Amino acid sequence: MSSNHYFKHEGPWSDAGDPLMCTDTGDWRTKRPVVDKEKCIFCGFCAIYCPIQVMEMQSDTHFEANLDFCKGCGICAKECPKGAITMISEGEFVS
Amino acid sequence: MAEKKQARLTKVLDYLKHDDPFSKGVAFCPGCGLELLLRFIPRVLGNDIVITGTPSCSAPVLLGQNNQSWHTLSYFGTLMTGAAANATGLARYYRKAGIDNTVVCFNGDGTANDIGFGNLSGAAERNEPFIYICYDNEGYMNTGIQKSGTTPFGATTTTTPYGSVHKGKNLRRMNLGLKMAMNKIPYTATATLSDLEDLARKLLKAKEAKERGFCFLHVFAPCPTGWGADPANTIEICRRAVKTNYFPLWEAENGRIRMTKTVKKPKPVSTYTELMKKFNHMTEADIKILQDDVEYEYCLLGGLSVLEAECQLPVSAKDQGEAS
Ligand SMILES: Cc1ncc(C[n+]2csc(CCOP(=O)(O)OP(=O)(O)O)c2C)c(N)n1
Ligand code: SF4
Ligand code: SF4
Ligand code: SF4
Repeated sequence: MSSNHYFKHEGPWSDAGDPLMCTDTGDWRTKRPVVDKEKCIFCGFCAIYCPIQVMEMQSDTHFEANLDFCKGCGICAKECPKGAITMISEGEFVS
Repeated sequence: MAEKKQARLTKVLDYLKHDDPFSKGVAFCPGCGLELLLRFIPRVLGNDIVITGTPSCSAPVLLGQNNQSWHTLSYFGTLMTGAAANATGLARYYRKAGIDNTVVCFNGDGTANDIGFGNLSGAAERNEPFIYICYDNEGYMNTGIQKSGTTPFGATTTTTPYGSVHKGKNLRRMNLGLKMAMNKIPYTATATLSDLEDLARKLLKAKEAKERGFCFLHVFAPCPTGWGADPANTIEICRRAVKTNYFPLWEAENGRIRMTKTVKKPKPVSTYTELMKKFNHMTEADIKILQDDVEYEYCLLGGLSVLEAECQLPVSAKDQGEAS
């Protein structure tokens, strides 16, 4: 996402190429979506409904959340037609 | 095996032709409908759009902070009172300069229906060549969840609380979409996040129609924080809003209304209200008022769509002159 000059007319003062701000939204999460690869039918509903668009395609077989930014809202788990996603408390992953 | 699986991928993905111009970590609440809508628009319309908008929940992200931004789109921040007037200036400038791009005036319901309605109305009358998108979270969310003109009957907000005197909003909501369609602008539509294919088609249609003038999209976008809803239910709330006819999906070309989704057996509106704390306190009699209101508005819409199909459209409305 570095050089983003969409317009031919971008002025010389443009900062469109500057790095974007980014918040560590993964840190907000209290529950994490865990995908059951066996149950997933690769329909993509979790991906289109995820507000942050972080349900990423994994080698044409299943989807998985990018945990760096997933806010843990649970929409993907709720919308999955196969119930392949379970929201699991982050506490479970603390070692 | 992999190929067989691929065939089932939802068609919505075909509409997402462009990159997401937003940074991954932006400060919207978890489950915010606005975030999904905002990321969706440039992925469908392309990144060569210019967005203008006002102070609202969308502004902290669209405007950026200090010298840095959260996205790579062009954005012009305006006052709540002049959103559509500013978009008018931009759209006319681009047209005069021969630059082919799309101006999207993106605002909350507080701006569109209340504070900035005057100039929205003016832009519609003058048939200015841009797309106005109102994301409707039924209140002034950014300033602490105050009621707006589109807040429905009974809903609690910080200015329509529930207590011994007040029982939530005691006024009916206004129908912004219908109000705009009545101006016979080239394109008006309602949309929501449970029906993303419908939304994508309407966005693309608006992009085309803006060559002929003003386009207005009214998008129902739940706010889990302000409505007291489980963030996981954002899409389900949209779905039920459609299934109860609380938020019917339609479009209107030059004011001619056509339903884009008809619900065969509408569910009672209580199946929608039960998902949010803002309606928690409502008695059966209160729900009945809301139900009647929903049915009345739907009936009106249905009547209009039938009537308008029968009526001859005046020539002047068919091809409105270009904004001068
Ligand atoms: C003329 C004017 N009045 C009041 C305000 C204060 N204000 C800032 S954001 C906001 C809420 C905007 O509500 P809406 O447009 O519905 O967007 P939302 O916050 O719901 O996303 C208000 C009232 C303002 N900026 N300008
Ligand atoms: S919604 Fe469920 S089944 Fe569909 S791709 Fe996502 S995890 Fe797989
Ligand atoms: S929990 Fe929410 S943010 Fe995380 S992947 Fe699912 S839908 Fe996206
Ligand atoms: S207050 Fe509501 S509209 Fe605003 S960011 Fe949070 S969920 Fe979204």
